[in-house]
Amino acid sequence: MSSFKPHDNRAWLGVLPVVLIVGFSAVIPLMTVLNYSVQDILDFNSRFFVGFQWYRETLHDPRFLSAFVRQITFSLTVLLIEIPLGIAVAKGIPKTGRLTPLILILLALPLLIPWNVVATIWQIFARPDIGLLGVGINALGISYNYTSEPLHAWLTLVAMDVWHWTSLVALLSFAGLTAIQLPFYQAAELDGANKWQVFRLVELPRLRGVLIIAILLRLMDSFMIYTEPFVLTGGGPGDTTTFLSQYLATMAVGQFDLGPAAAFSVIYFLFILLFCWLFYTSVALDDDS
Amino acid sequence: MTRSFSRWVLVSYGIYLLLPLYWLLSMAVRTNAEIVGDFSVLPQSPTLANFAEIFSSPVWYQAFGNSLTYVAINTLISLAVAIPAAYTFSRYRFLGDKQLFFWLLTNRMAPPAVFLLPFFQLYSAIGLFDTPLAVALAHCLFTVPLSVWILEGFFSAVPTELDEMAKIDGHGFLYFFFRVFLPINRGAIGVTLFFCFMFSWVELLLARTLSGASSKPIVVVMTRTISASGMDWGVLAAAGVLTVIPGILVVWFVRKDLVKGFALGRVS
Amino acid sequence: MAQITLKDIHFRYPGAEQDTLSGLNLDIADGEAHALLGASGAGKTTLLNVLSGLLSPTAGNLFFDGRDVSQLAGRARHVAQVFQFPVLYPSLSVAENLAFPLQAKKASAASIAERVDYICDELAISELRQRKPHTLSLFEKQLVAVGKALVREDVSLVLLDEPLTAVQPKVKWRLRQTLRKIQGDLGTTMIYVTHDQTEALTFADRVSILTDGGILQTGTPAELYQAPDHEFVGHFVGSPGMNFVPNAALGVSMGDRLGFRPEWAVLDDNGPVKGVVKSTRVQGTRGGEPYGLVMLETEYGELAIRGEISRAVGEHTALSVHRYVAFSDKQRVGEGEFV
Repeated sequence: MSSFKPHDNRAWLGVLPVVLIVGFSAVIPLMTVLNYSVQDILDFNSRFFVGFQWYRETLHDPRFLSAFVRQITFSLTVLLIEIPLGIAVAKGIPKTGRLTPLILILLALPLLIPWNVVATIWQIFARPDIGLLGVGINALGISYNYTSEPLHAWLTLVAMDVWHWTSLVALLSFAGLTAIQLPFYQAAELDGANKWQVFRLVELPRLRGVLIIAILLRLMDSFMIYTEPFVLTGGGPGDTTTFLSQYLATMAVGQFDLGPAAAFSVIYFLFILLFCWLFYTSVALDDDS
Repeated sequence: MTRSFSRWVLVSYGIYLLLPLYWLLSMAVRTNAEIVGDFSVLPQSPTLANFAEIFSSPVWYQAFGNSLTYVAINTLISLAVAIPAAYTFSRYRFLGDKQLFFWLLTNRMAPPAVFLLPFFQLYSAIGLFDTPLAVALAHCLFTVPLSVWILEGFFSAVPTELDEMAKIDGHGFLYFFFRVFLPINRGAIGVTLFFCFMFSWVELLLARTLSGASSKPIVVVMTRTISASGMDWGVLAAAGVLTVIPGILVVWFVRKDLVKGFALGRVS
Repeated sequence: MAQITLKDIHFRYPGAEQDTLSGLNLDIADGEAHALLGASGAGKTTLLNVLSGLLSPTAGNLFFDGRDVSQLAGRARHVAQVFQFPVLYPSLSVAENLAFPLQAKKASAASIAERVDYICDELAISELRQRKPHTLSLFEKQLVAVGKALVREDVSLVLLDEPLTAVQPKVKWRLRQTLRKIQGDLGTTMIYVTHDQTEALTFADRVSILTDGGILQTGTPAELYQAPDHEFVGHFVGSPGMNFVPNAALGVSMGDRLGFRPEWAVLDDNGPVKGVVKSTRVQGTRGGEPYGLVMLETEYGELAIRGEISRAVGEHTALSVHRYVAFSDKQRVGEGEFV
């Protein structure tokens, strides 16, 4: 944003539509949630103010805590795979040439598929009876069944998420790599730098901006994940793949425990904001500007 | 990492990408009998019966229609409110502008699950429950901030000299905006359209919560495809194939804008 | 530092209809400061890339100290390059950037530190050693880039591709001065590519005029100025460039056109070339009288005379020439004097 912009408070007219729409969708519901989170709602007419009771209960609820641990494990796992893999895939894309647009479109495909269809695709793919992957693995002698084995369910979920989202990291990284001008590579060649040094000293610093965006997006979105695990495993076997969103959804809609559900919602949202803020400031502080 | 190692990674990943998609397509052209029968990598007797069933069954094609409706409404609303807002952010400073921008972005960080219940109550209360408009508006919570963010980045890159030149030429603001500014930013609008579509078309949780019996979107119908004889895998796969196509079409149409957008954009 | 020889170098880009470089021959002495002067599109960048090893010549040979390096990879040639904008490793400090080429050659830590200190002193950038590139000005960054190019003692050749481009106009002269000084101190063979003749003529021992993929003339700045081999050289070198008139205008039979430098003509009402004073530009005084350029509009176009400004704008006068170079079909065929 340049500094040549005139200061004019009438500009609020231009942003008013956005404020109204987002405010309508955000502020009212959030107020509702906050309101419910501090009340005990027995039925429509009897509500009692209970302060932070729901918050305390939620933070001590063993099911909440285990869902939280599962969520963190999942998010970290997929992040640790998707970021390096995405960068490696991006490096393999030719920067110019006729194949490049086709490759980019192919990579974009998984990002454009409705999330439940992604899960359905993997359902069909991984089932031990009718799926190419399922039948294939079982044919190798491993009795693979993602609906009954927690480990298999986890591995399949991770494989599915990697299939789904690595492209985002790859496309962002590719955008970053193509922005690096030729002389930087030339200078490194004349210096006698090896391939690893070129990656570390020429490419990685320039990828910093896009990687921050990619990590932030994947961190946030994997933390909110709902559809794919829900459709693929339903949270099972048992509750071994029940992550935070699903737990919350069950609480909120299924069981009508409005107060605790609301408190959970607030805690959930705050956690994501906290992670994002921590990540962003720690990375932004890295810059000595 | 050598060039050939990265090529291998790309090729392997490409195969990894294509295999499940191939399998989806292969299942979509098989009958249920063939699917539950003996396993084979290639379809034995490919048929378009599953697609025919979808096109002839109102449950299916209405569901597609419902989904496309709310995606279209959402994209329209998002662009209609985000464009003026992005223009304003890029051209003016005003009281609270930075805070407003930041607040918009935090909405992107909100887990949809948090809004389940309040949205349900809110839209029921104003009588919009079970309409495409409800889903479209609910998605706006996420697509509008994203649109403003993307568009502001592009709009800021267009020099203000353009605005001044139009004023000097004697054109009113509306003429400048619709005949000069927006056409120049076709690429940006294309990219934004892509991202709005990408979010709204694929989202399940809110779409499911806010849809009742009459406006069921495709995402919901697909999660319940069970017939008397068990899971209707063939039809399900065919429906899956059909949901991928709009995505391919959208990215094909905006591919040039995407490439330009990636090159210019906020990311570097 | 090395002696560089280009022997009949040709280069054609794949799919191109013509050679970008056609039959280049050039000998550069060990330790020479050489400039390649030419307009955009003349083939300067291509030639640089052939010298650095990024491109291999499609025909011809390149020798460093008598060794044929035509097909040798860039990293094996011991060449360094300074680019139009500062090219440094963003995550390394200035000292680490300077040390990098030495570390890649597996030098000892002590010798690296010593050499980095020496370069920092030479370029007066010692206070910047611990800073990261993004905290420096463009000028400082380009100085570091120059240091990095010179840090290896065994560097055969340093290429400079219009190194003043990104630097602010106010400090261009400082960078130019620094380059001249350090080239003299270290005695490194340097090839400086530019389209700006001031840069070329003030930096180099000898200059090659490059046009359309070939070298028109190589010589010292004085040689190029006094005895251009080709009309283009006469026109391109010098500010303003050489004046040209048909030889009939001065009554000379050699060649078809005559060229003369502004200093080789005087305003003379009885001179052979008549004209009107179009404009004058005062550049100083000589003996109390204004001295500078007088532009005379004549039947042969606008001609420039450098000397005492003895006429005012609008006056009818003429010029006479006391020295000239004769050209036939643009090539130099001789020179002459009027006494």
